[in-house]
Amino acid sequence: MALLRHFARARRRGRDATGTRMWTWFMLPGTLWMTGFLIASLALVAVLAVGTTDDLGNPRFGFDLAGVRALADPAYTEVLARSLGYALLTCAICLLIAYPVAYTIALYGGRYKNALIAAIVVPFFANYLVRMYGWSVVLSDDGPVLRALRAVGLADSGTKILNTGVGVVAGLVYGFVVFMIIPLYAALERLDVSLIEAGRDLYGGPVRTFFHVTLPATRQGAAAGLVLVFLPAMGDFVSAQLMGGPDQIMIGNLIQDKFFQGQNWPLGSALTMLLMLVLLVGMLGYLRRTRKDEAEARR
Amino acid sequence: MTMVKQPSVTATARPAARTRTKRGRADRRPRVLIAVTALFFALLYLPIAVVALFSFNSKKSLTVFGGFSLRWYRAFVHDDVLIASLGTSLRISLVAMAGSVVLGVALALGLVRCRTRLGSLAGLIMLVPLITPEIVTGVASMLLFKGLGVALSTGTVMLAEITFSISYVTVILRSRVAALNPEVEEAAMDLGATRWQAVRLVTLPALLPAVLASAVLIFALVFDDFVLAYFTTGVDPQPLSVRIYSAIRFGVQPTINAVGTLMLAGSIGLIALALFIPRLFGRRGGLDILSGE
Repeated sequence: MALLRHFARARRRGRDATGTRMWTWFMLPGTLWMTGFLIASLALVAVLAVGTTDDLGNPRFGFDLAGVRALADPAYTEVLARSLGYALLTCAICLLIAYPVAYTIALYGGRYKNALIAAIVVPFFANYLVRMYGWSVVLSDDGPVLRALRAVGLADSGTKILNTGVGVVAGLVYGFVVFMIIPLYAALERLDVSLIEAGRDLYGGPVRTFFHVTLPATRQGAAAGLVLVFLPAMGDFVSAQLMGGPDQIMIGNLIQDKFFQGQNWPLGSALTMLLMLVLLVGMLGYLRRTRKDEAEARR
Repeated sequence: MTMVKQPSVTATARPAARTRTKRGRADRRPRVLIAVTALFFALLYLPIAVVALFSFNSKKSLTVFGGFSLRWYRAFVHDDVLIASLGTSLRISLVAMAGSVVLGVALALGLVRCRTRLGSLAGLIMLVPLITPEIVTGVASMLLFKGLGVALSTGTVMLAEITFSISYVTVILRSRVAALNPEVEEAAMDLGATRWQAVRLVTLPALLPAVLASAVLIFALVFDDFVLAYFTTGVDPQPLSVRIYSAIRFGVQPTINAVGTLMLAGSIGLIALALFIPRLFGRRGGLDILSGE
């Protein structure tokens, strides 16, 4: 018996070794592909951010801080600040919309829960451009939203949504609110309903129960949603282009402009790096937050 | 005395109070929440409905509906440029789907089973596309191709889309691979299968529903993708979404409503199919495909 067990173990060890070798080969093509096409190209952006252009406007590698220094230009810092403001506002509004929607579906959806969530998710994965285009028609001056607002006296004939900051944020919210709903819904689904009932039995009003029971229990879902909305909102340029005017451009529009119209690639690369930096700070903040939460949960 | 009395009072008073407040809340609270949710759904579908409705408009207007007509669909079918773009988009989606599914499934298997340092590094690299905004990926890919001296074309879009899609396939497949019992593979090998045979004959068939679902999803995502295609496309028939983008920027063109409606219908159908595929195989279907959980 002992001998048999010994053989079995030896065979498994031999198998594990060949297995690891084979699984490494499985991993390699995809990893090399992504390293070559993505990691290398991101490095290239960083290098070109300190590069120059020749007289014809073609990018040349070198070391020149003109592109990076240009970022300090008030014109650019203003756009960066505006993008940050729009993205953060979008996050806040998405949170305000997603909580009641996810809560209603998770707690009162009954057997239609999955169908309702699918009804939200499916159109969101459909063509982003066409959806945004439809949204811009809906929010236009003769569109149904402004007509309805005028009918109930919440807007007058001069009120506009398109070509204002409101329009851009509305576009971003419409574009990315699903990324808030999915993690929040997942967190609310996991939430033990008896906790909420306990809160009510202890005579907590709905508002107090929400802030003392529901919100803390779903904080991680909300944090994940905030990151998932912030990332694409910060880099978006379609919303500002379709819903905003020249005074509402975001950093994505600047980047697009530097690569397509302006042909200033070093500056475009520097702007791209700046965008990455902002997002990295956001990501790190999120990771620190979740790590702290996990440490607390373990204690 | 009071100590004994008090509990008995609350014990009789509480049930009545509780049922009353509970019923009161059950009536009052969800009503507001349900109204908010209903408004959300209305606003969610309104833009889609508007595009679809006005694609059947007999007039050119986007605000006045003049009557039902297939005029704009006919215009689309006879627009050679748009049809060429449609072909380009379909080709890009097919190639990106095939490439990213092969690479992504292999990567998912390797990541789950290979517990080496290289494995964790590969896991980190895999996450990069998921946390990088598309505009950054687009700029980076464009610079890479230009830096290598490769002219931008349909081919470069395909390469960039594969890069971006591998991670999605891997994320979807990884939890499925982790849920498989490795002892089944062991059993196959005890019965004389080689390692590769065990993967091919045991593991891959078990993963088939998830693989199919991810393939359909990737096809739809790549077909609809705009940002990456915009940065990496050349001038040969541009992908449909890039064409739509230029059309939208230069004012109203009702043909775009027709194209948009067809695209929306197509991708909604495909994504619903991706959600439904695991059910066809008698498995718990659904949204976990999208969240990767």
